[in-house]
Amino acid sequence: MEKLDAVFAALADPTRRAILARLADGEATVTELAEPFAMSLPAVSKHLKVLERAGLISRGRNAQQRPCRLVAAPLADVAEWVLAYRRFWEESFDRLDEHLREMQEGGRA
Amino acid sequence: MSTTREFTITREFAAPRELVFRAWTDPRHLTRWYGPRGCSTPLESISADVRPGGAWRATMILDATGQEFPTGGFYLEVRPPERLVFTWREPGGDAESVITVELADLGDGRTAMTFHQSGFTTQETWENVQDGWESALERLSEHLAGHTTEEGTGS
Repeated sequence: MEKLDAVFAALADPTRRAILARLADGEATVTELAEPFAMSLPAVSKHLKVLERAGLISRGRNAQQRPCRLVAAPLADVAEWVLAYRRFWEESFDRLDEHLREMQEGGRA
Repeated sequence: MSTTREFTITREFAAPRELVFRAWTDPRHLTRWYGPRGCSTPLESISADVRPGGAWRATMILDATGQEFPTGGFYLEVRPPERLVFTWREPGGDAESVITVELADLGDGRTAMTFHQSGFTTQETWENVQDGWESALERLSEHLAGHTTEEGTGS
């Protein structure tokens, strides 16, 4: 059940979002992923572990290369349904709250 | 069944419920808040035919990857400014839920919202939804009949 929190925590980081964006174009090795970032391989590996734990990426079995690929729609996981959608709406409602406040302040209610 | 796929969220907003209801039904409002952080829902992806049986859709785009998550469904019950019931096709899947939004006037321009989402997991829930559809269609035909006899053009 903590997995969905892991998904959102994983997405909260700009480097990890950039890694996901790169993987959206196709699989890549750790070395390839590290290239655009001024970052050591262990630092990138750490990010990949976070993404892997969140179920957002999967890694090949080849011990040397372990190419990473994007896993589609982790939110579809049945076991995490409630957590996922509760989170979905709670975040939306935070935005709704802000939006309503802005509307009121703008005097356009 | 091990667990029921449903949950309730309650929230209080510093806005009158007419405005909160509009925020749920008007695309110009929905584009500002629909979807979790890290997503945007462009105005042009949203349409809402807000009446029982009417369709709605909205596509969320994950800012980080550009990945699109279309959502959509049908309105089952529309009772401004207090109650809205609609089906919700889940992002990234074909499964559907029923969402019920109830708005209570707390006075002083404040509104309490009770949000309930229930996923279809069993034949029973499907049947309940189909019953819901029938009553929605009945209401629609009553609504249309009312309009014809009152020669109303809508308010």
